[in-house]
Amino acid sequence: MDREFIARGLQRSSPGRFLLWILPWAALLAFGLYCAGLCLAKGLNQTNMDNRFAFGLWIFLDLTVIALGAGAFLTGFLLYILKLDELRAVINSAVVIGVVCYSGAVSALMVDVGQPLRSWFTFWYPNVHSMLTEVTFCISCYLTVLLIEYLPIVLRNRKLRDVPSFLVFEHKLHNLVYVLAGVGTFLSFFHQGSLGGLYGVLRGRPFAFREGFAVWPSTFFLFILSAAAVGPSFILLTTKLVETLSRKRLVRPTVYSLLARVSGLLLAVYVLAKAVDTLVWINRTSPGHGFLASQYYSWKPFGTWILFAEIVVFGMLPALVMLTPRLRAHNGWLVGAAAMACGGVALNRFVMTVQTLALPTLSFDSFVSYYPSWQEVGTFLAVVAYGVLLYSFSFRYFNLFPEERELRLEAAVHEEESALAGRY
Amino acid sequence: MTPRKRYGMSIDIDKCNGCGACMMACAVENNVPPVPEAANDRKGITWIRVYRVDNHRAYPERRTAYVPVLCQQCGHDTPCVHVCPQQAVDVDPETGIVGQMPERCLGCRYCMVACPYHARYFNWWDPAWPAGMEKTLNPNVAPRMRGVVEKCNFCHGRWHAAQQKAAAAGKREIDAADYVPACVEACPTGALRFGDLDDPSTEVAHDAARPESFRLLEKIGTEPKIHYRSQRDWVRDIANAPHPDGKDQHRG
Amino acid sequence: MLPWIYGFDWNTGHIVFLGAFYAVLAAIAATLTAAAIRSLRAIRAGQTDAIRWHGDFESLPERDQVCRHVLTGEFRERQCPHAFDCRECETHAKLIERHPLAPVAGHEEDVSGMAFPLDRFYHRGHTWARLETDGTVLVGLDELGARLLGVPDALTLPQPGERTHANGAAFHIRRRNADVRVVSPVDGTVIETGSAGRGWYLRVKPDSTGANAFRHLLRGSEIRPWIEREIERLQLALTAEGTAPALADGGVPVSDIAAAYPAADWDAVCGEMFLEG
Repeated sequence: MDREFIARGLQRSSPGRFLLWILPWAALLAFGLYCAGLCLAKGLNQTNMDNRFAFGLWIFLDLTVIALGAGAFLTGFLLYILKLDELRAVINSAVVIGVVCYSGAVSALMVDVGQPLRSWFTFWYPNVHSMLTEVTFCISCYLTVLLIEYLPIVLRNRKLRDVPSFLVFEHKLHNLVYVLAGVGTFLSFFHQGSLGGLYGVLRGRPFAFREGFAVWPSTFFLFILSAAAVGPSFILLTTKLVETLSRKRLVRPTVYSLLARVSGLLLAVYVLAKAVDTLVWINRTSPGHGFLASQYYSWKPFGTWILFAEIVVFGMLPALVMLTPRLRAHNGWLVGAAAMACGGVALNRFVMTVQTLALPTLSFDSFVSYYPSWQEVGTFLAVVAYGVLLYSFSFRYFNLFPEERELRLEAAVHEEESALAGRY
Repeated sequence: MTPRKRYGMSIDIDKCNGCGACMMACAVENNVPPVPEAANDRKGITWIRVYRVDNHRAYPERRTAYVPVLCQQCGHDTPCVHVCPQQAVDVDPETGIVGQMPERCLGCRYCMVACPYHARYFNWWDPAWPAGMEKTLNPNVAPRMRGVVEKCNFCHGRWHAAQQKAAAAGKREIDAADYVPACVEACPTGALRFGDLDDPSTEVAHDAARPESFRLLEKIGTEPKIHYRSQRDWVRDIANAPHPDGKDQHRG
Repeated sequence: MLPWIYGFDWNTGHIVFLGAFYAVLAAIAATLTAAAIRSLRAIRAGQTDAIRWHGDFESLPERDQVCRHVLTGEFRERQCPHAFDCRECETHAKLIERHPLAPVAGHEEDVSGMAFPLDRFYHRGHTWARLETDGTVLVGLDELGARLLGVPDALTLPQPGERTHANGAAFHIRRRNADVRVVSPVDGTVIETGSAGRGWYLRVKPDSTGANAFRHLLRGSEIRPWIEREIERLQLALTAEGTAPALADGGVPVSDIAAAYPAADWDAVCGEMFLEG
């Protein structure tokens, strides 16, 4: 029964082993849902957020998760609009990662707001000057786009494909996927940017405030760049992880190399832009508001080391590694650089959210700290567990890596050749 | 059409002795519920908060002062107004008062993040009053529900009552004496004054123009309408950005 | 959101923002609607089989999509752009005009011990079509196909009167875990069904028996290079299923290959050999 849903010629673990893999994640999901339920039923007093630390763990992780999910739009854009055909090997996986990241982030946000049932107000009475309005509109539209992009992957399932209307609809929808890729790119551009804009517009938080172009602060563009830079890195990482866990080859080394090149190039541009932005901010924007930049970094533990780590260690370094063919060819360097790039963006999002709120703005207020409560951590773990489960099911039942079967055959050829070479 | 006002407040820090009567009066007037036992000092609600500041000197040079901080009613680029995704915050063009509509609020708390003065408060709990105390609630002010943000609105209930009174008397403009926020009324030392900043005849307009008058974080350009003043240099220095060496400051 | 809702201003920001939003919604809705309408039309026009085949074809590895003229050595490298439907192919028309197929002596080709009679046309999905004297066409599994599926565990044939399309499903065979749709070589109407024992499965009244009707099928001297390549592919598929040592070089496939490799994932092997994705 189970086997009939698995694509032909793909080797997947037995239902029993799959169940064993699923169970702990399902348990984690159940615990996380309990935590989220507590927050919804009893209110946000279950968290350690407070009036000074009004945004906490969830916003930081949402921003990170959405940046990591940028691989879905970038891969779609490169494949369907710029016709980089090699990326066909990872597009399905990228879409699933996108669905996981965006739906997970939106779910966490629904727990994060005080009155989730009023979310539709934003659509009904939009304040078009608010970055959060832009984010809400774009993310909900883009999640819809991602779900529509996910649909053909589901309908291509071996068993579902037997239903003629599914088969035909999948085909016709897939023929129009470039429209969705275009719309997705447009939406991603704006919401990744607006997420950066969220903090960049905060005149009242000089640590985050940046000047910019037109209505957009510079963080708008930096967030787009950094998200686009780590999207491919995250796809690379997840694919490597799935390869390791499933003990299979899923994509060709050239695809990894391409992902790393794209990631490295964008990251290099980002690091450059970020460095310029930081200098402008330190020397002009912040002092202009009466805040000396040195002051921000004198509150322990947020010293200048964090700036150095963000730009040099987790930015320039991985960019250089990914742009150097000899280093990139080495699995350890490649994976390490991709992981560091992702870590760098997480650090950037941490700085923009958590550090911004920790710093005092009033001279008589103090530097505050915040540790998430177990309910907050649990709720986020639910998102992680949900992501792992959705990806696991997708990997088992849908053909996420179109070249998997072919790579197995190629491996067989190699085996045979070496066997023959041994014989004669 | 009633003439436009630009309501503001002046606070004489030198007169404030930190008694907290303003906080109390505010809570009673605006139906701010008592803080639940589980709350810490960062989770409770008070629309006006009195901070204690000092001059960072050791005894015997140590001097302290008290700074009441309420919504600063920013008049330019009001940070909370243009971040709210669903227009739950607005500036009343007639009064210049920054208003919060709790029934429109999603509870996203973006406005709290945007506010440089930490003058916005979130309802982390359902509002609850001890048995019998609900009888003391002000019928002119709606209590707020869990999960929404609230803040000082210069006692909107009082402004409304004053308007009704004026309308009943057939007048187009309210009598200034009819509209005084609860904190101003309650202050025993007369440190707080309230009125139309655009009217040069008012005390606040006069106070705001005095050389020892200052506003908090003026340089960020939000044009707050709360004007503090003090004769002491070190007190006037609190208007500026924080100094990292002042980490030992306490909050009231 | 809507002009009559509180807070809606007819200012530039509002119009640009909501304009973009509605444009995005319209694009998403239009895409879905277009896909739905096109699907309905395609189903009504009976294109389901063709779409299924194109899907199968696209999921084939590149080296399995090679043009028949690569098999015969006329091209060194060429991907088939027509999903093996040479009736649509201008290159093929030109090529066979310029270099007609060399005649083959005898009435059958023997490749690795398997007989391929020359009186019929072969589809690359291992079916054959033979034009009978009464104008009908018999459809059956070729020798390699028959050896792969051996004695079927189950057989699903269409009812007489049903339509069958070239490259669409002719019939389904189940053997071990393999559930194979066998590709039809011709367009036509089924008039009689056969069985494995009778050597053919369908008798079809073809839509056309003209010069172009069988152009997409292999014949004569094309058969040997094709089957030789197919044996290589089979060997590869068997190796991939971990059943090495597979057929020794020049070895003859046994009459029931499925029975000879009980450990192999027969579904995968058959999917590969019968060109089903």
